[in-house]
Amino acid sequence: MKRGLVFAICSLFVVSVIVFPITALAQDDIVTVLGVWGGHELEVFQEVTKAFTEKTGIKVQFEGTRDLPTVLQTRLAAGNPPDIAAISGPGALKQYADQDALVDLSEVFDMNTITESLNPTWIELGSYDGGFYGLMFAADIKSLVWYRPDQFAAKGYEVPTTWDEMEALMDKMVANGHTPWAVGLESGAASGWPATDWIEDILLRTAGPEVYDQWVDHTIPWTDPRIKEAFEIFGTIVRNSDYVYGGPVTVLSTNFGDSVNELFTDPPRAYMHRQASFITSFIRDANPDVVIGKDVSFFSFPSIKPEHGNPMLGAGDMLAQFNRTSAADEFMRFMASADAQEIWVGSLGKLGTNSKIDPAVYPDDLTREMAAALNDADVFRFDGSDSMPAAVGSGAFWEGTLMYVGGDDLDDVLEYIETVASESY
Amino acid sequence: MNRLKIKKYAPRVVVNALVIFAMIIWIVPTLGLFITSFRSASDVARTGWWTVLNSPLKFTQYTFENYKNVLSTGGMSTAFRNSFIITIGGTVVPVFLAALAAFGLSKLHFGGRTFFYSLIVMMMVIPTQMTFVPVLRLYNKLSMSGTFVGLWLVHTGYGLPFAIFMLHNFFQALPDDLFQAAYIDGASVWVTFTRLALPLSVPAIASLVIFQFLFVWNDLLVALIYLGGHETVAPLTVRLSSLVGSYGQDWHLLTAAAFVSMIVPLIVFFSLQKYFVRGILGGSVKG
Repeated sequence: MKRGLVFAICSLFVVSVIVFPITALAQDDIVTVLGVWGGHELEVFQEVTKAFTEKTGIKVQFEGTRDLPTVLQTRLAAGNPPDIAAISGPGALKQYADQDALVDLSEVFDMNTITESLNPTWIELGSYDGGFYGLMFAADIKSLVWYRPDQFAAKGYEVPTTWDEMEALMDKMVANGHTPWAVGLESGAASGWPATDWIEDILLRTAGPEVYDQWVDHTIPWTDPRIKEAFEIFGTIVRNSDYVYGGPVTVLSTNFGDSVNELFTDPPRAYMHRQASFITSFIRDANPDVVIGKDVSFFSFPSIKPEHGNPMLGAGDMLAQFNRTSAADEFMRFMASADAQEIWVGSLGKLGTNSKIDPAVYPDDLTREMAAALNDADVFRFDGSDSMPAAVGSGAFWEGTLMYVGGDDLDDVLEYIETVASESY
Repeated sequence: MNRLKIKKYAPRVVVNALVIFAMIIWIVPTLGLFITSFRSASDVARTGWWTVLNSPLKFTQYTFENYKNVLSTGGMSTAFRNSFIITIGGTVVPVFLAALAAFGLSKLHFGGRTFFYSLIVMMMVIPTQMTFVPVLRLYNKLSMSGTFVGLWLVHTGYGLPFAIFMLHNFFQALPDDLFQAAYIDGASVWVTFTRLALPLSVPAIASLVIFQFLFVWNDLLVALIYLGGHETVAPLTVRLSSLVGSYGQDWHLLTAAAFVSMIVPLIVFFSLQKYFVRGILGGSVKG
C-alpha cells in the first residue's frame, strides 16, 4: 500500500517531466510579448495576435502580468527579455533605453513612409536621445469631465467652458444642495494616480505646456510656486466636503473605478467626474442599462488661463522591442498598421494612432468624438507621472497627492516629493 | 452550590467569549469575500457586501455568474494541471530532501554539523527576491527557464531551509537510545532512517507538506519569473490574475477566483489536518 503510493508519486513525477515539454525559447517563427492586459483586454489582444498569425504564420506567445516592471527588469538583468513588451510610457522608455536594452525602431520601420500614417506627435513621444524606441499604438485621452446630460438639463446646469464658469457651476450646485464632484483615488498599490492626472491637467492649463515639460524633466523643482498653485486648485475641490462627495475620506478610500458610479444613483450623489476615456468600460460594467453617449457624456476639462487654451492630456499603449528578430520586427510593423489597431480600438473604445483607421470601427459616436478631439487638440501631452522616473512618477507623486488630500501641509508634501526627485533624475 | 458553579464556569464563559470574538474578527473579511463572490458586478460596484444582511434570504440577489465566468475562462483546466505539476514536484522534492538532511544533521555525528545546520538556518533570512536575477541567469545558460523541472528546483531551494529547520527540531526530540539500540541490532543508517525516523515523524512531515503545499500552490511571483506567464505553463495563480484588466477592471471576478483556487488547499489541509496540530507541537518539547 505504502509502496504503491510512493510508486504512484514517482511515476507521476516522471510522466509529467516527459509529457509536458519544455517551452520553446527564441525560435524564428515565434515572437514573445509581455503585457499588462487581462480580462477583456486580453481577449481582444488575442484577436489581434490571431490576425497577425493568419497573415504571417508567426506565432505569438503572450505573457500577461500586472507586475510587468518587476518581471521585465528581472528578465532583462538575467538576459532573457521578451522580444516585445508593453511599457507604461516615456518614463519607462528612458529607463530601458539608458540600459541599452531597446531596439532602435528606425531600423525596423521605414522612417520615410511611417509619417504618412503615424502622426509625428506619436513618434516624438517614443523617441529619446536620438533614437526611436517606443511605438504608441493606441491612446486614451484624459482631459475629460463626465456628466449626465439629462441631469444637467433637469437642474438647469450648463457645461462650463472656462474655469470661472466651472467655479460658478460648482457654487450653484452647492447652493442647490448638490455635490459637484465624485472623486476616487484608491487603486491598490497604484493609489493616487487619478489625483496626479488632475494636477497634470490643471498645471497644463495654469502654466502651459512648456512649464509642464520642465516639470516632467525636473528642470524646475517641485517647490516651484506654479506647481504649488496646481496642487492648491485641486485641493480646493477635493479637500472641501461641499465640493466632493463624501469629503476627503471618501476620496481616499473609494476605488477610482467605483467612484464614477455616484453619478448614476437616484438622485445622483454627484454630478461630475474627471477621468480618462477608458472609464466608459467601468460605467458599462457597473450600470448595464446606461447608454454611453446618451445617458452619460463628457466635456473637455475647461481652460483655466485663456492663453494656455485647452491642451489634451493623454496616455497610451506603448510597445518596445528588446530583441532584434525578424518575427519581432514583423510584429512591430503589424501593430503600427491600421489593420491591427482597428481590432484593438474597435473593441476597447481606445483611440488608434494610425491616421488611416476607419472611423467606423469605433464602437460609438462618443468615441468618434474623442478621436476627433484628439486629432484637433493643438497641444497633446503624455501623462506626466508616466513620463517621470518610476521613483517619482509611480512613487512619491502618488503618495504625495494622497498625503495632501489626507490633510498634510502642502509645503511639506512638495518638499518630500522634491527630495525623492532630486535623487532620481 | 450555585456559587461553586459560577466559580467553575465563569472563566470558561469569558474564554469562550474571547475566542468567539477573535474568530468573528478573523472570519469577517473572508465572509465578505465569500458573499461578494455571489453578487453581480453592478451590485458589487454600488454597495458593500454587508447590505445583503438586510435581507439575507432574498435569493434573487445572489448569482453564480462570477463562478461561471471564472470557470469558463479559456485554459482553466491547463492552469489546474500546471498548478498540480508544479505543486506536487515542489512539495515532494523539498520534503524528501529535508527529511534526509535533517536526519543527518540531528542523528549522525560528524564534525561541523552545527556549522552546517546554522548555515542552513541562516539561509531563511535571505529574501527570495534577491536570488531572482542570478538564478534566472544561470537557468538561461542551462536552458532551464520556462521548465517545470527548473521551478521544482527553485521551490526546493526556497523551501529547504525552513523544512530542514522544522524536521531537525523534531528529529532532535527522538531519543538517541532508540537509534543506538537499532545499531546494536545491526541496522544500517538507511534502515534506521526509513524504519525508525520516518514512521515516527509522520506528524511533522504531514504538517511540513501542508506548509510547503500552500506556499507553492499560492505562489505567483516565483512562477511568473522562472516559468513565465504563457498559458501552456502558467499555474492557476497566474491565470487567475489575468482575469483582471490592466486598470483593475473586473476585480469582482477575483472574489470567485479566490474560492476556486482555495478548494485544493482546503482538501489537502483537511485530509492532513489530524497530523497538523501534532506537527506544530513537533520539536517544541524536547526529551
